[in-house]
Amino acid sequence: MQRVKNVGYDEDELYDEEDDVYEEDGDPGYTAEDRANFSALTPVVRAELEEAGVQASDQDIGAALWHYFWDVGKSVSYLKNSRTPRPQQQGVKKEDKPKAKSKFDEAAQKSAETAAHADMPPMSAADWFRDVPWTQIPPEMEGSIVPATPVIPRPKLLGGSSKLARLAEERRKKAVAAANVASPPVTNGASSSLDRLSRPKDTKENEAPVPKVEPKRYPIRKKREPTPPPKEPTPPPPEPEEEEKPDLRASPTSFGRTLAASLPHSRYTPSMTLKDMLGSGVTEDPFKGPSPDDTKLTNGCSITGNTGKTKQPAANGLAKKTEALKLGDSAPSAPSPPKVRSKGLDVPNLWAGGKSKRKASAAFVVIGHVDHGKSTLMGRLLLDTGAVSQRDVDRYQKQATELGKSSFALAWVMDTGTEERERGVTVDIAQHHFSTDSVNFTILDAPGHRDFVPNMIGGASMADLAVLVVDANQLESGMKGQTREHVLLAKAVGLKRVLVAVNKLDATAPYSWSQDVFQKVKNDVLKFLGEAGFAANDITVVPCSGLSGENVAKAPKPNEPAAWVARTDLTLLKALEQAVPSGGNGDAVKRPLRMQVADVFRGGITNPLSVSGRMTAGNAQPGDPVLVQPSGETATVRGVEVSGEPRDYAVAGDICTLHLTDIDPIHICTGDVVCDPSQKVPVVESFTAEIEALDSLLPQSVDVHLGRLHTAGSITRLVATVDDKGVTLKKKPRMVKAGQRAIVKVAVEDGVPVEGGEMVVLRAQGETVGFGIVERTGG
Amino acid sequence: MRLIKQSIERKTGTGSATLLPEEPEDMWHAYNLIRPTDLLRASAIRKVISESGSGSRSNERVHMTLTIRVTKLDFDPQAAQLHVSGRVAEENKYVKLGSFHTLDLELQRNFTLEKAEGWDSVALDTLRESINQDAKAQLWAVIMQEGLANICLITDHQTILRQRIEVSLPKKRAGSSDHDKSLARFFQTTLDSLLRQLDLANPKPLLLASPGFTASSFHHFLKTHVASTPNKQLAQLLPKITLAHAASGHLHSLAQVLASPAVTSKLSATKFARETLLMDTFFTLMRKDDARAWYGPREVELASARGAVGKGGGVLLISNALFRSQNIATRKRWVGLVDEVKGQGGEVRVFSSLHESGRRLEGLGGVAAILTFAIEGLDEGLEGEEDGLEEVWDDVDDGGLGVEGKGGVEEDIDFL
Repeated sequence: MQRVKNVGYDEDELYDEEDDVYEEDGDPGYTAEDRANFSALTPVVRAELEEAGVQASDQDIGAALWHYFWDVGKSVSYLKNSRTPRPQQQGVKKEDKPKAKSKFDEAAQKSAETAAHADMPPMSAADWFRDVPWTQIPPEMEGSIVPATPVIPRPKLLGGSSKLARLAEERRKKAVAAANVASPPVTNGASSSLDRLSRPKDTKENEAPVPKVEPKRYPIRKKREPTPPPKEPTPPPPEPEEEEKPDLRASPTSFGRTLAASLPHSRYTPSMTLKDMLGSGVTEDPFKGPSPDDTKLTNGCSITGNTGKTKQPAANGLAKKTEALKLGDSAPSAPSPPKVRSKGLDVPNLWAGGKSKRKASAAFVVIGHVDHGKSTLMGRLLLDTGAVSQRDVDRYQKQATELGKSSFALAWVMDTGTEERERGVTVDIAQHHFSTDSVNFTILDAPGHRDFVPNMIGGASMADLAVLVVDANQLESGMKGQTREHVLLAKAVGLKRVLVAVNKLDATAPYSWSQDVFQKVKNDVLKFLGEAGFAANDITVVPCSGLSGENVAKAPKPNEPAAWVARTDLTLLKALEQAVPSGGNGDAVKRPLRMQVADVFRGGITNPLSVSGRMTAGNAQPGDPVLVQPSGETATVRGVEVSGEPRDYAVAGDICTLHLTDIDPIHICTGDVVCDPSQKVPVVESFTAEIEALDSLLPQSVDVHLGRLHTAGSITRLVATVDDKGVTLKKKPRMVKAGQRAIVKVAVEDGVPVEGGEMVVLRAQGETVGFGIVERTGG
Repeated sequence: MRLIKQSIERKTGTGSATLLPEEPEDMWHAYNLIRPTDLLRASAIRKVISESGSGSRSNERVHMTLTIRVTKLDFDPQAAQLHVSGRVAEENKYVKLGSFHTLDLELQRNFTLEKAEGWDSVALDTLRESINQDAKAQLWAVIMQEGLANICLITDHQTILRQRIEVSLPKKRAGSSDHDKSLARFFQTTLDSLLRQLDLANPKPLLLASPGFTASSFHHFLKTHVASTPNKQLAQLLPKITLAHAASGHLHSLAQVLASPAVTSKLSATKFARETLLMDTFFTLMRKDDARAWYGPREVELASARGAVGKGGGVLLISNALFRSQNIATRKRWVGLVDEVKGQGGEVRVFSSLHESGRRLEGLGGVAAILTFAIEGLDEGLEGEEDGLEEVWDDVDDGGLGVEGKGGVEEDIDFL
């Protein structure tokens, strides 16, 4: 013991040389005064002890006296306590406290610490000074040092030293604090965030008294006494180490706290976190809701916005979601999905009533052989009628020139697909609208390439009339190829009127705008169309040039080589206006709804699922329930668009877009039929059709085209050949020769929605082998 | 398939053959070999319930070899599995005579087949063909159009549709890239499915066919994918790809694809290419309204009876589905026709009903013939009678392959 003391003070000399003079004196041995004191006081102490029935050696008594600076009473009670149960020791210690502040004590402790640190691994300066009394000691760390406190959690105890208890207490305090902050409506944001900042400190203050005493408990006696472990005040065990992190970091800002959501501290205070995340926006955030008036105002606003929304059918899902989030507190329940309300219009009557006021409308399909200039001609038409701006065309011109295809610039108006532009070939039907003074037109620009004839059939089936584009210089190639096939297909899908645009007259040989060439081509085409079965008065032929633009929308000027055209022929646009059939019939509008889906697409954010196509029968308005065949799924019409503009309704004959809701996109494909749920189109796997053979027919596999629908099937039976009047010529022929009419049974791979009277086209190996009318379905 | 043991008597055709199926294709041969009423002996696992004296029952799975008299066959071409149902014909200690069992034929396990009515010429030919160990041609084909892709495996005897991808693509529209995006997604789906099917370690030729430029776009997509993937094996696939034009993306366009020069130059030796060519010849003759081409059961039988399908160009085209008839008499009738034509020196081509060419033949009633001389009006006497097609098909067991034109479930009608 002596030796330890020596070591300790030797080291301390540096710090305490002058101040603790008598200590220095005592160091080498006891001074004479000391000895005198010993001899005087020891008997007294002994007597006291013997009274209390406690045995103690002279040495012990001496030591006690030495420590208590010759205070007999204290020494006696110390000795008593050291030999009797602990609890009383507490009292002794508490009396010690005032003394603890003396420099001597501090020095003693320091020495003890250095002694303890000597055999520990090297530490950082921060660690070194962590629990030194004059630094700020984290309360959590200190609390955990108390070994005597029971492990059983006592949540009610203020500042209990058990971790659980402390946690519970913290939580409770915070809840109270939060409630205090939240409840007075006048609380302004700044002060409330201040409160929040200070809250952790409150809890610390609460716990502070107990732990702060700890390090001062055994100021100097540590080395002397055998019982207390020498390392106790040194850096804490691992648990407190963990715990102190949150406090170190958590104190700075509320911003930091919000950022570090994973901080253990915030984990311990879930109520706090929730408030931070949800409540802050409403009550605590200084900018969002500075005053109760404002909060009320915003709430009121969003509520009115909400009620407005339920009336508004075209609400989008995202807005709904955000609104539901915002209204979390004020609106008791999320707004139900918008139910499309039908206006309950009597569409047939409305339509019949407005007939005279309305502009006529017509859709025409542009057909012809590949590279005869269909798309370019249509691009020109759109440009000259103002449906496409010169600026757009200039841009296309620039882009096309970059690709080395400058002559395709006008075609790019129609050919919007990447692949179409790269290859300079129309692949799919392009749809475009333009209006003249008297008519609204829809262009359906068909691809000319033989591989895309299926798309052309789909387009032609939506049209009212056909515009056949013929290259004046390459009539022959077209007649062998798709000029011929397209004309036949136009006939097959039931088109009556054909407008022939003899194109590329600016490039005729031997000189441009040769009238002879035009006449020759005109005669050939008229002859062919007559053979194909078109009546002569349903055919109009106009000369034009799509690339240079003569006689498309504007008649050529008198001084141009094409001047003769103005005298003899109409412009293409005029001819189109004349060819428009008189408006649709009222009967079709009253029939149950039928619309073949030509395209399924995303109409935008507000309309995630839209279908477009030509309504062949019936009418539709928002709110109407519809059925999609063959999937048999029901849907609701959410909106109707005709020519790209929203309408109240669409009727038979319109090429329209229906925005659907309440259906999964997976149930709708191109070629499906949208129909009236009460009178649905049957889905069949086979049908009988009266067809006209363009090639010899055997029982064989064929591609079956019903408008936009393109499916695999086969002719399963040749029932009979018939003549024009439908009289049976031969039953069960071994084959149907080209040009014959026959009744055949066709089976399709998957069920298709088809009704009697529809036009069907049969193709095999890339060629049209027959077309006709569905007579009977099923069986 | 390997022939392990054979004891077939030449004259009567009685006897049995023991065969070892080695690859999935062999199941198809087995399916064509095994007929209802045949005796089939193969290993089987059967659950045996034994009851002890005290009445307690115990279940046990017992391996045994069973002999059954076949009543029904069920072939799954996708998985190449053959299930043969029948009644147990030889009793053993677990199974009683006459109880039912379904044998699942397995690869690398012997089975022994004994023909009830003896091995006829067609059965012997099938057997010969099935044990032919020549290198077998196999080819993967993707027949596609925008939004539709059929991935199929073409072997000597079958065209197996392995995967069909059907996607609804939005059409082009100005200012929207939805079409391009969906197209890329469609290609990705197709590629993923294709790579799941292919054995990349041993790549077979791959045929991409489509109308327009879907196939070449897909080819380009595939190349870009190969360039960006670290999978080296995939690069080996690239030189094996052939691009071809198809009229449409439907499977029946495959017939045309296989007849196209780009493909025939690479596959001319294979059986399916020969079959396709033959079918094309026949159809060409029909188109010309040549009286040397006839189809339909009765017409062909009549022609054969007049000796028109004989030496010097006579060819009988017959689908092997006809020999799979449940009805013995029907089977005998077709075997008889084959023997007759062979006797006259004509050529007999048995078409696999699982090939496109076979499908086309089935459309014609399963049997057609190219005659050595023209016969006009073969069908005249037949007019007004019941239609031949349905009679032929109503008793053919097509293994649920969905033969088009198969006529309902009518009772057997006696021919002629």
